[in-house]
Amino acid sequence: MDTMARMALRADATRYFLGYLWWVLEPLLYVGVFYVVFEVILHSGRADFLVFLMCGKLVFIWFSKSVNQAANSITANKGLIGRINVTKTLFPLAVIQEGVYRQMVVFLLLFAFLYLKGYPPHAAWVYLVPLILVNYLMIVACSYIGACLVCIVRDFSMFISLSMTFLLFTSGVFWDVRALGDPHKTEMVLAINPLAFMLDAYRQVLMHATAPDWAHLLQIACGSLALLVIVALVMRRSSQYLALRALS
Amino acid sequence: MLALENVSLSYQSRRKSFDHGAHHVLDGVSLEVYEGETLGIIGRNGVGKSTTLRLMAGILAPTSGKVRQRPGKTASLLTIGLGFRPDLSGRDNAMLAAMLQGASPKQARSYLEEIKEFSELGDSFEERVKTYSSGMLARLGFTTALKTHVDILLIDEVLSVGDARFREKAAAAMKSRISGDQTVVFVSHMEAQVRDICNRAVCLHEGAVLAEGDPVEVLAAYGEVSR
Repeated sequence: MDTMARMALRADATRYFLGYLWWVLEPLLYVGVFYVVFEVILHSGRADFLVFLMCGKLVFIWFSKSVNQAANSITANKGLIGRINVTKTLFPLAVIQEGVYRQMVVFLLLFAFLYLKGYPPHAAWVYLVPLILVNYLMIVACSYIGACLVCIVRDFSMFISLSMTFLLFTSGVFWDVRALGDPHKTEMVLAINPLAFMLDAYRQVLMHATAPDWAHLLQIACGSLALLVIVALVMRRSSQYLALRALS
Repeated sequence: MLALENVSLSYQSRRKSFDHGAHHVLDGVSLEVYEGETLGIIGRNGVGKSTTLRLMAGILAPTSGKVRQRPGKTASLLTIGLGFRPDLSGRDNAMLAAMLQGASPKQARSYLEEIKEFSELGDSFEERVKTYSSGMLARLGFTTALKTHVDILLIDEVLSVGDARFREKAAAAMKSRISGDQTVVFVSHMEAQVRDICNRAVCLHEGAVLAEGDPVEVLAAYGEVSR
């Protein structure tokens, strides 16, 4: 899995003139586009909007890009699947591993940016470790489900892509879930949408040195882990069915 | 060593043609592979030869019937052309293929120079596979396949492509490989190859076994249906 991921990253880097620079350029350009729209044109009204946006958007891109690409990973490797009886979780995991390598660099960039903007490293940043781990579990669980669905019916690829756009607008990437005016509404959004909770938790840790809601984080971790294990078992049991679907 | 018992395989086609969308690839196929033999499978395009090998390799499961394999024995399917990742170099693809067939990273790395030399790819070995001609792909595929060490070798048309000189070289390498006690199941369109290499042959026709036994007799039966 790791070998596949590193080979794909190297191949990706050699494809473009700017090579590995795209690892940071791409997320920065996304942030730039959102900054122009929501700060320059629409005047968000927050003094720290750029920091707020980067904390949310850079984490969101990790999730959305990994899930989107992993969802298509089994069908993208049908040549290999037709040749070797290999566990199908390998393909989404390799794509997720690519994202992990990229995100490590993106997090370093985010920390450097926070430091420059007056948010020096704080002891509370240690809370990032469980946050990142739970974030990873969420990505793996969603990717496994997506990869199975797309393998069985290709059209799910469109739904997953559309779902990411839906999540972009509903997870508080460029708006603050805590500034909705109605505390019940905030609670509801955080309870219904785990991604909104995660983005908010990253901001609480990085910008306000506040611990996340551990009980809520544990719920998301357990839910993701349970889903991940169940879908991985289903994928293992139906490996040959998935191969047939990928090849047909 | 390996047996298919009344095996059928069908799947729902994306296009609603055939039998209400169901495409029957194999229909009640029974055949056995004995230890140390080289079994040839022949038949026209689309009769289910490659599917039979995929069933034997455990890549696909039959819709009905059983695939029995002696416990502890490994089977590996060697095909060419398919399975390469076009965005990766020949070297990376060879490394990946070796690792997916069970080699450790160290073992896989140790094969690479030999693969580069036998495949005669030269500097192209470091280039992305999407720039390869079909002949180059065939050379890389065959050479990577040659390095595999398994109990049952399932070979799908690997000797049918590439230029004539490489084909001869590949056939010689494959013959020396299968002359030992290696069990081989071999799919080919080329009658001469089946006659030369195989101890026994099976002819598939319309998803079922048409003839089985001595290669010369089976080729004669194949000749009649392929006319």
